Amino acid sequence: MFRIIGRRLLEVVLFILFVTFFSFLFLRLAPGDPALTILNVDELNVSQEQVEALREDMGFNDPLLVQYGKWLLEFIQLDFGNSYITSQPVAEMLLTGLPATLELTIGSLIVMLLVAIPLGSLSALYKDSWIDHISRYFSIIGAAVPSFWLGLILIDMFAVRLSWFPTMGRDSLLSLILPSVTLGLAIAGVYVRLLRSSLLDSLGQEFVRAARARGISESRIFFSHAFRYSLPPVITVFGVSLGSLIGGVVVVEVLFAYPGVGKLVVDSIRQRDYPLIQGYIVLMAAIVFVVNTLVDLSYRYVNPELRLKKGTSAR
Amino acid sequence: MKKLWMKVLGVAGLIVLLAACTNNADSEGDKKHLTFVYNFATNSLDPNVDSSYVPLRAGMTETLVRLNEETLKIEPWLAESWEGTNEGREWTIKLREGIKFQNGEPMDAAAVKASLERSLKDNVAIQNALKIDTIEAIDDRTLQVTNTQAFPEFVSELVNPNVSIIDVEAGDFVNNPIGTGPFKLESFTPGSKLELVRNEDYWDEKAKLDSVTFSFNEDANARSLALESGDADVVFRPETESIESLEAKDGIKVESTETFRVHQMTMNMEREELKDVNVRKALDALINRDEIADSVLLGYAQPAKGPFPDSLPFAPSYSDHETGEDVAKDYLEKAGYSLVDGKMQKDGEPLELTMLTYSARADLPLIAQIFQSDAKKLGIEVELRQIEIPEEYMAANRDWDLATYSNLTAPRGDAGYYLNATYHPDGALNFSGADEPELTKIIDELNVTVDTDKRAELAEAAANYVDENQINSFVIYPDTLVAYDETKVKNWVTTRSEYYMITNQLDVK
Repeated sequence: MFRIIGRRLLEVVLFILFVTFFSFLFLRLAPGDPALTILNVDELNVSQEQVEALREDMGFNDPLLVQYGKWLLEFIQLDFGNSYITSQPVAEMLLTGLPATLELTIGSLIVMLLVAIPLGSLSALYKDSWIDHISRYFSIIGAAVPSFWLGLILIDMFAVRLSWFPTMGRDSLLSLILPSVTLGLAIAGVYVRLLRSSLLDSLGQEFVRAARARGISESRIFFSHAFRYSLPPVITVFGVSLGSLIGGVVVVEVLFAYPGVGKLVVDSIRQRDYPLIQGYIVLMAAIVFVVNTLVDLSYRYVNPELRLKKGTSAR
Repeated sequence: MKKLWMKVLGVAGLIVLLAACTNNADSEGDKKHLTFVYNFATNSLDPNVDSSYVPLRAGMTETLVRLNEETLKIEPWLAESWEGTNEGREWTIKLREGIKFQNGEPMDAAAVKASLERSLKDNVAIQNALKIDTIEAIDDRTLQVTNTQAFPEFVSELVNPNVSIIDVEAGDFVNNPIGTGPFKLESFTPGSKLELVRNEDYWDEKAKLDSVTFSFNEDANARSLALESGDADVVFRPETESIESLEAKDGIKVESTETFRVHQMTMNMEREELKDVNVRKALDALINRDEIADSVLLGYAQPAKGPFPDSLPFAPSYSDHETGEDVAKDYLEKAGYSLVDGKMQKDGEPLELTMLTYSARADLPLIAQIFQSDAKKLGIEVELRQIEIPEEYMAANRDWDLATYSNLTAPRGDAGYYLNATYHPDGALNFSGADEPELTKIIDELNVTVDTDKRAELAEAAANYVDENQINSFVIYPDTLVAYDETKVKNWVTTRSEYYMITNQLDVK
């Protein structure tokens, strides 16, 4: 266990170096110039020389490697730098927005589970029945519909017409529901199909037949044998699809004016606030990494086969 | 597993229950409250630094002088009077008496000095804009400002929301700045909203509203929906496409107001073809302004004649341009072009132009497309190129002929900013590469002229020069749209400067 974690730590260092270097490179190569934003050229009279002077001052004229080196040096001291726009520490800004984002992520995962588990299970149990067809259509639509559009439809139905929920903001748990449903439905489609095929696979396994032969009730077979056995592939995909979940959070946060880190980074991209964008990338890389590690570790607990194999080889 | 199911359902039920409880708490008697939704979000309320200008827009802070929205002239606000000497190098500013910050501290000359110095220190752009060398507090109500150079438009620059006067002793500028406005901050959720309450000790007429929610949503659709659902009373810039359906609703009013913005077509005068004024005039004649105003902005725009809308005191009486294909053709013939095999050409070289456009302002690519198809009718090939950041691209690359661009031409009621930035050889926005000695001379003279009437004359002369020589083309003045619930909101004014939004006069029925 500790060896796994130790190796993981080494990996995380390399991973963060890789991610931050390339994101740094792409950010600086992308068009846009914070000097123009800072000088507010849109509204204030500035000369070309003044723009140039500020660029020089902020170190934008240094070679990219030097700029990255400086950033890395500060980062190693756990200093994410200050935002160009608000002059506040980036770490502080990200931490202020993080709870809202986590809330939204958890909310949408709950919605996803509430939809995917029953729908996936039913369509596996009643393969080729009407419920299976419905779940198939649901998955296709879920994968095809962009979440901002789904969000607008939900706002129109449940906030404008029915007035059940607020259209935007983060005032009470009520304001969490529409964004969570938007995002939850958008990611549920994948998991419904995945759970279905994984369940079908496990229902055909020998241990299920053996259990049946022992006279164990169908529901018990389903929940304590087949369902558990079908989880690892689903969990693996969760690690992979985490990225799309994060991206979805960003879209949904903007649409619902939900004050999380996703919205924060969209604002900072508009203003070319490099330190904040870079900080966000590090944070997300760290989250993806932690979740993937947890996913790896969790196999041992959900999959009896794996645990058994590991156990026997150790003996 | 069944137990887990029950737990999940239980948690979900609890959430709904909790949410239902928290929602009923805010109906508190008949307090006057208004919810406003703005189209940009901010993570900082620092009035001296953040370019969202939210503290001023939300009525938290005020500046020394303000723009009168009717006359479009500068008028006193926190300052009572001012006087400039030595071509605007020295200024004496007299403050209004008895003004207090929202924390009860007096707003005296020393406090104003500290506030101005703080904005100079923390904001490079303001340092550039104000050109202040020293500030002295002569007595409680008098400030003496010395600029680094002759600077006649100094007072108009003080309109800038980033020169809001705040109590610098109070600290925490980002989350809770202390100003002098009719509303003070109760809570701030970065990126989402501000809750404001009436400032009971306001120096002027007290606000009519008890409280205001100033929230942000960048999605235009979502803003329109917020108004429809009743979550918002006033929304800034609803989606243009949704206006008809909004107007069809009972009680919703859509107001469209001319601003100081102009969508223009920048001409790169460093390109061989565009060096000829006749070619520039031909291109100008090809712009179908009425069609653009109607089809791109659905009528919420006026055809532009020059950089400054007629409402501004220094807008010249522009000459009437004749437009249309035939006019354009005449100009091109004057420049030596002729139509051969359906192509406009000169010495066997067809006229082919590259036009830049960018999507940050959704109207611009559409304008470019209309222009492209109109030019094609005359045998001119226009290649459209989408860029990301126009300021950066145009400054660094000269491989283009035309560019759609949008500019605030008199954000603080003075022409100095736009003329210097766009037509002076040193200007940061001089993308046409204008280096016209006569024009530069006019701008230089404007830069040392204090007298308002004389300034207006010079601004007119400059605008006329731009017009006659067709340095740029001006397409339309887009309107600012605001939609609100007419049955509830009283005294809403859509200002042209877009600076003053939540005021002490704003009310609900």
